[in-house]
Amino acid sequence: MFQYQFMQNALVASLIIGILSPGIGIFLVLRRQAMIGDTLSHASLAGVTLGLLTGHNPVLTAFLFTAVSGALIEYLRLTFRRYSELILAVVLALGVGTAITVISSGQLSVNAEQFLFGSILTVSRLDLYIIIGLAVISFLMLGFLYNQLIYITYDADAAKIAGVRVRLINYAFSVLVASVISMMIRIVGVMVIGSMLTLPVAAAMQLGKGFRKTLFWSVIFSLIELILGLILSFYLNIAPGGFTALLAVAVLLIVMAVMRVQTALARYRARSTP
Amino acid sequence: MIDISSLFFSYSDSPPWLLHDLDLRVRPGDYISVLGDNGSGKSTLIRILLGFLEPTRGNVRVDTKDIGYVPQRRDVGDRDFPLTVYEALNTFRRLKKLSPDDLKSALQHVDLTGREAELIGSLSGGQQQKLLIARALMGDPPLIILDEPSTGIDPASQKDIYELLSHMSKVHGTTIISVEHNIEAAMANSTRIYHLAGGSGHICTPAQYMAEHTP
Repeated sequence: MFQYQFMQNALVASLIIGILSPGIGIFLVLRRQAMIGDTLSHASLAGVTLGLLTGHNPVLTAFLFTAVSGALIEYLRLTFRRYSELILAVVLALGVGTAITVISSGQLSVNAEQFLFGSILTVSRLDLYIIIGLAVISFLMLGFLYNQLIYITYDADAAKIAGVRVRLINYAFSVLVASVISMMIRIVGVMVIGSMLTLPVAAAMQLGKGFRKTLFWSVIFSLIELILGLILSFYLNIAPGGFTALLAVAVLLIVMAVMRVQTALARYRARSTP
Repeated sequence: MIDISSLFFSYSDSPPWLLHDLDLRVRPGDYISVLGDNGSGKSTLIRILLGFLEPTRGNVRVDTKDIGYVPQRRDVGDRDFPLTVYEALNTFRRLKKLSPDDLKSALQHVDLTGREAELIGSLSGGQQQKLLIARALMGDPPLIILDEPSTGIDPASQKDIYELLSHMSKVHGTTIISVEHNIEAAMANSTRIYHLAGGSGHICTPAQYMAEHTP
């Protein structure tokens, strides 16, 4: 299977995404911003369609449109301080509105469906190089912002007192989210990016560990889901996006069940010890 | 250490004022408890001192940017936030570019040594408060600002916390500003009381405060 170049491309992209997406997702989940991931992934579709329309690489245009949308969310926070969910509705309208308008115009020579559901056949070498380039920048940014992001998430006031420029970091984080989302479009598709950013983190949080261990297990779960999703979608001849999302739900349910059994056993042992 | 003169504040930037013509001068080593009813502007005042809010009118000068801040526990991450005691302190230590020894000594101050690997959510209310105090103490800042440090905490932990604050003020010369609901602790430990009522402030000694407020 991996003798095919498109599978090699998809595997490398999956490995990169598997490590990076929980790195972003953990902050989205803990900031209660899981829906921002979903909104921006839908906004990325507008970037894809604009790329296809203008003849530019869709991964790159998705990154640009999503980064602008992410920055717009941060900016609109000042206007809609108390009704922040309205911001998501605005950005969703902008993104989905643009995408539907472009798709329905009949001007696209490529089927946009592959970007909705993901397609392992379509990860080209150029896509892979763009993904690797974005990944290098994202890893560096994440490494640099890691401590700041943890503290903004845990206690933003304390972060400010320690000298963290919270607003600036939030803008940088929007670009980071945009970067990871645009990397994920080819493999998992727009429809399930939000889920793939957050479900591995949700599963890891069930383990009740500290931040580093939760992040570590999120990466493990994410890699398992993406690689297994890739292999099985190859053999079953189905779009990888939907199946990977189903695997993510399955992993979450399994982890929850194992943790419940473990807790019940611990209680039983404690009761039966004289 | 702190100089407040003719401070007016309102969230709408116009009257009615939440804080009305406040004046306060805090000397290094002072331990000032800020008292007042709910809604009297105590927390707003400390948010101005911390630089989170701008005065609508008047001047506020704080001589140091190195401030230890202990927020109310309910304002800090959820109980299920996946963070260990060590991670909570070490991440903050790195942000402030302090040494690992600063972390160790802060843990010793609040008696949390040996509990570094525990999740913050598994600590009792008193221990969580001590953790926030340890964070504020790291690097020995000259000024510590606390927002109701004893709310929802058992009496034994309250005693530990106030003994520590008193020690920091008397022995290390740390300036302490503490918004208080605990009148008894404020009387026992503070050098001065700042009483906020109807938007206005009044500074006095604990003895004067008791004389004015005991029927």
